[in-house]
Formats: sequence, structure tokens, C-alpha cells
Amino acid sequence: MDRRTALHLVAIGALAPAGVDAQHVHAAGSAPAQSYQLRFFTPEENLFLDQIMELIIPADAHSPGAHAAKVSYFADWMISHSPEKLQREWRAGLRQLREEAANSSPAEALAAAAKGQTPFFTRLKDMTVDGYYTSQIGIHQDLNYQGNEYVVEFPGCTHPEHQ
Amino acid sequence: MVAREAIPPFLAPLAYNAESMAGTAPTYDVCVIGSGAAGGVMTAELCQAGAKVILLEAGQEVKPTRFLTHKWPYELPFRGFRSEKQELFYPPDLANSIRYQTSDQVGVDRIRVLGGRTVHWNAVVLRFAPQDFRERSVSGIEEDWPISYEDLAPYYERVEQTIGVCGQDDGLEILPAGKHYLPPLPFRCSERILKHACAPLGIPVIPVRKALLTRPYDRRPACHHCGHCMDGCDVSAIFSTPGSMLPKARATGNLTLRQNALAREILVDGEGRPRAVSIIDRTTRKEEEIQARIFVLCCATVESARLLLNSRSRQHPAGLGNSSGVVGRYLHGHLTTNVDAYVPELEGRPPSNQDGALDHVYIPRFRTKGPENAYGFQVNYAGYMFPHHAKRLPGYGATFKSQVRRMQSGYLMMGGFAKVHARPENRVTVDPHRTDTYGIPIPVVEFRFDDQDLAVYRAMNRTMLEICDRLKADTFPNFADRPRGFASHEVGTVRMGRDPRTSALNGFCQSHDVKNLFVTDGSSFTTFPEKNPTLTIMALSMRAADYIRDQRRKGDL
Repeated sequence: MDRRTALHLVAIGALAPAGVDAQHVHAAGSAPAQSYQLRFFTPEENLFLDQIMELIIPADAHSPGAHAAKVSYFADWMISHSPEKLQREWRAGLRQLREEAANSSPAEALAAAAKGQTPFFTRLKDMTVDGYYTSQIGIHQDLNYQGNEYVVEFPGCTHPEHQ
Repeated sequence: MVAREAIPPFLAPLAYNAESMAGTAPTYDVCVIGSGAAGGVMTAELCQAGAKVILLEAGQEVKPTRFLTHKWPYELPFRGFRSEKQELFYPPDLANSIRYQTSDQVGVDRIRVLGGRTVHWNAVVLRFAPQDFRERSVSGIEEDWPISYEDLAPYYERVEQTIGVCGQDDGLEILPAGKHYLPPLPFRCSERILKHACAPLGIPVIPVRKALLTRPYDRRPACHHCGHCMDGCDVSAIFSTPGSMLPKARATGNLTLRQNALAREILVDGEGRPRAVSIIDRTTRKEEEIQARIFVLCCATVESARLLLNSRSRQHPAGLGNSSGVVGRYLHGHLTTNVDAYVPELEGRPPSNQDGALDHVYIPRFRTKGPENAYGFQVNYAGYMFPHHAKRLPGYGATFKSQVRRMQSGYLMMGGFAKVHARPENRVTVDPHRTDTYGIPIPVVEFRFDDQDLAVYRAMNRTMLEICDRLKADTFPNFADRPRGFASHEVGTVRMGRDPRTSALNGFCQSHDVKNLFVTDGSSFTTFPEKNPTLTIMALSMRAADYIRDQRRKGDL
């Protein structure tokens, strides 16, 4: 189906009742923070994590990947605001993966973790999914999400074959 | 505006015993506690009837301009994973002020904001069916309500006209329809496909009924289909107390609104009749008394029971209005489960129809006999922004990424809501040894599903999988061994009934024990079918408001 006509309005105007502000502005995507200061990971850990996350969701012909979406910073932010136990598990899991990567390569270490379905692999993958698909790149460039717009008439399905 | 008959003045000759009032005239005719669905209707109706009403709300107003409705995840500090969009409605002083004891996984909603859950809801409004009020007569379980569908039908109609409801009459006995619907929301592709898949199973898929304006109505604008209903509707296209009822109440000049007023206890006079409510102002932490002739509790299931149980006196040692001992008991609410399905024929297509008003269609209960068949499905209320399957698909890398993208266009989510049986052992009590930050004993929730509930759970899950099978969908059921419960739909702790020994309220939501006490929120339900509770809460509240007005006129109250 083609994209339906979306009309962005900045004001509802006269129809708004008392108590509802007449100005109704939809948020435009704001630029991501220009510079992010690591709060939990060391720069070395972050570098490695960034590499691993890009392997989980890589750039391809369709859209950029986890590196461009700065997913490792998202991970740092979330983990830095998590209980200490979880922080320790992240640090230990990442250290082990780095050690294995030093003996082979990051790609091989990740493949082994994925094959073994280790809890740390699940944690890594979930964090990458959460960070990537809530980023501007993930939402707009990759999934091409079509919602959160001002649509006067919602057409619904107009395909003859579905009626 | 809805045409209403002219209503004569509220004040009838005073029927009060001057002595029992200890010489102090109450300031207000009616004190309504809680500004959600029940309190909003009650307040507007009574103000329009000429009563001087004080409306107490424990929370405070969050203006729609402060809602984070349209914020993208990447504009929020935790990308929305820590409920940043909703935390405006749940102040920090709520934390740790409830305890769950030997409970299944259930959650009760204790929102604290002007408008209560009407500022944070999906607005599905369904009438209960005649049989839903007669469980004992029809199925031999639980109790019959003291009122019938016919008693409530005129109020369903009036509420629907007042709040504006989109939908249509589908001619179903199990889901009675009103006469005044705004045009229904149109089906999306996946919902059309769902309808075709369900037809051979004899399962109807109908347009949802929501308190959502598909056309401008009652001086409110129509929905703009942004797809974020649950984050607060910033234009009031979805019904809310602040956007719809408070303007009506204010226009009468009869409303006094008191925010940040946390009700601690209802105080009684020498004859045991409520005379005042003791409140704590959350901003000053000072305690004061609000006096009124009539008190209406609209604090929702947990907090209304808590307030009554915390209102102990010489005349009411077990809590106010609790001579029966049932206050706090019969806690129940919906059992919920859901499935993420991906329709193959839509996969790989360019994304479309991803906004709208969350769910547009509804699957009503389709086997109307047998308590294990009391379930219905809401569809696509999870939104389309996040690919929920991504954590469930195996693997990683380029193939994984493109598979996530392909499947997202076919996303179809179904959520089941099932009846849970009302049982006395499931309950809310108060813990005298543990108080919240204001020194008020906290509520304690005890709740376990039983075999009957688990039977409904299994039947509901089976049906969901059958439907997914028909769709030939990639299916990710989110079924646990034991179900989850309530989803904000909790009821029953101050139940109505004919017998004062086994119920707390009569059919007008009036306390059997003390005449000038009413409870009109979901705690008044005798039993609860699979349908969403809010429309019935509002109809009960409106009916109680009429009753209060009539009794006042007759001088009986």
C-alpha cells in the first residue's frame, strides 16, 4: 500500500475545548546528543561492545547498523542506571567475550556464544535490539515506521483483495 | 452537547437531625473522592443537578501540553523502557505503598492524577450483556447482581451520548449496542485478513467500540490517528474527565476542585454516619477535615476498599460500611494473555496503516454458554513502532536484520481478556503496621487464580492459537504456566448485592449500613464478565447520581 496522505498541522484551533491547549505540535525528531560521556564502560570495553553490536545488527544496503545508531552508548546509559548485580554481570560477560575474541576474533567469539545460547549472548542481543529499534536509524531508516503523524482521515485497508 | 431535560434544583428540604450534626452545617452537599471515570461522571451529573460538590483528587492536574504523547523513543531518557511517558501520572510517593502477599502475578493500577485512568487508557467501552448480570441464574456460579441490564440500559445510552463513542451495532446479544455511535474506525489490512480467517471458525471480528471521537463532538476535536492513545490524548479526542466532564461541572458554578488531597479516613458522627473526610494535603502534609452531607467514593478498587477499611470507629469497628465483612473481599479482575503473530501475505510489503487509534477491531465472546468460554480479544493495541519478534527470532547479523524488517509489516497482535470468578478469599486488606509516606496504612493484596480461572485461560489460549493457525502466521505466544491478571481492570472489593449480610452496597451503589455513603467505581461490581469495565462504571455512577438527586428531592437523604 502506498503511504497514505499525512497532513501535519500545528494547531487544532477552534475545536479544542476549554482546558485543552490549542497549540498542538507534534514532536519532530531531535538530533541525538552530540557528545556522550561513558558512565559505566571503559573506552576499551565500549570499543569492543560497539564492534560486537555491529555484528549483531550490521549496516547493510538498506540501512546503517548498530554502530551508526550508537547502540553501545545506549547500553552504557541503561547499564549505568541498573542495579550493581546486573552491572557486575555485564562487566564479567564482556570480559569473558573479549578474552575469547583475543584468542580468535570478535566474530568467532560471538558465533560461539550464539551457538551455545549463553545467557550473556541473549543479554547482548536484547540490548542491541532495544537500542537499535528505538533509535532514529532503527525506527525511520530501517523499519520505515509510518505512525506518529497527524492523519485527518484514516483510510484503513484499501486493497481489493482484502475486502 | 447532549440534550438534557431541565433539572430542578438539587436542594430539597433538609432531612438532617440538627443535633447529630453537632451544630455545624456541612460546607458541601456532596464530597466526591477520586476524579477518574466514576468520579468525573458523578461530579458533572450532581453539579448539573444543582448540588454543591467538592471533588477531591489525590493527584494533580497534568496539562495535556505536558503529555509526552508524540515523543519518539530516542527523545526520552530511557527510550520509554522505564515508562517515562506515563510517569507523570504515577508520582514517586506511590512507590512501596502497596504489598502483594501470596499472590499470583497480578497488578493493580493506582494512578494518581486529575482524571485518574481516563487520562491513561485505551478507551474501549463495552456494555455488559443481560446474562453478565445473572451468573448464578444462567451458569450456577457466583452471584446475580441486584440490578439487571434493563436497569442500566438507559444509563449506558446516556453515558455513550455524553462521552462520544465510535462503533456500530453488530446485532450481537452478548454485546448489546447503543443507538448513538460515531462512525467506526476502519479495519487495517491485518484486521481484514483476521476477519476472513475467523469467519470459518464462527468467530466475529467487529469494529471496536471506543470513547474516541471519529468526528468532532461535544466541542472536542476528532482523533488524529497518531497511535499513542495510552500516553494521554493531548487533544481530548479520547474521553477524559478533565477534557470532558470537568468543563461541564465547572460551567455550573457548583464545583470545588481540591487537588493533592489524599483521603485518609472518613469520620462519622455520634450516630455512625459519615460527616467528614480527613484528608492530607500532599503539598503541605497538613491534615484537615472536609465536611459534606453525602460522600461518594470513586477511588478505584484498591483505594476505595483501603479508605473504608482505614475508617474504623466505635460504630464501625471493621471499617466503614463493613458490617457484612465483605469490604476488601471478592477482589477480581481480568486474566490476560497475548500473542504476537506475523501474517505471511503482508510480510515484506512497505509498512502501512501503522498508526490509527491502537486497536480498531474487537473479537467479542463468541461461545456464549459455559463459564470457561467467557473471553474476548482486543487486537493491535501494542502499536507498531517496536519489532516485538526481534528478541524471539533466533540468530543475528544481516539475515536476522532483514527478517525483522520483513516480518514487521505483517504484525498482528491479539490480547485476550477473560473472566475471573469473584471469590471471597481474594482480597485487599490494610496493614496497620506499615504506612505510606503520609502515615496511612497501606493496602495488601492477596490473590490466587483457581481451577475455574485456569480453565478459561487454557480455552482462551487454545482459541488464539487456532486463529493464528488459520492465518498461517508466524506465532509467538506469550503464554506463561500461570496467567497474569488485571491489566488495570480490577473490581469487586465493595460489592453490591441484595443481601446486606453478603454485600456492602445496594443496587444504587449505596452503602447498606450508612445511607449517605456511596461507592460507584469498579469495586461495586458483583461479578465481572470478559468485557472492559469502564462503561459500566460510568453507567453505575450516573445511575447513582440520579438516585442521589431523587432521594435528596424526596428528603430521604
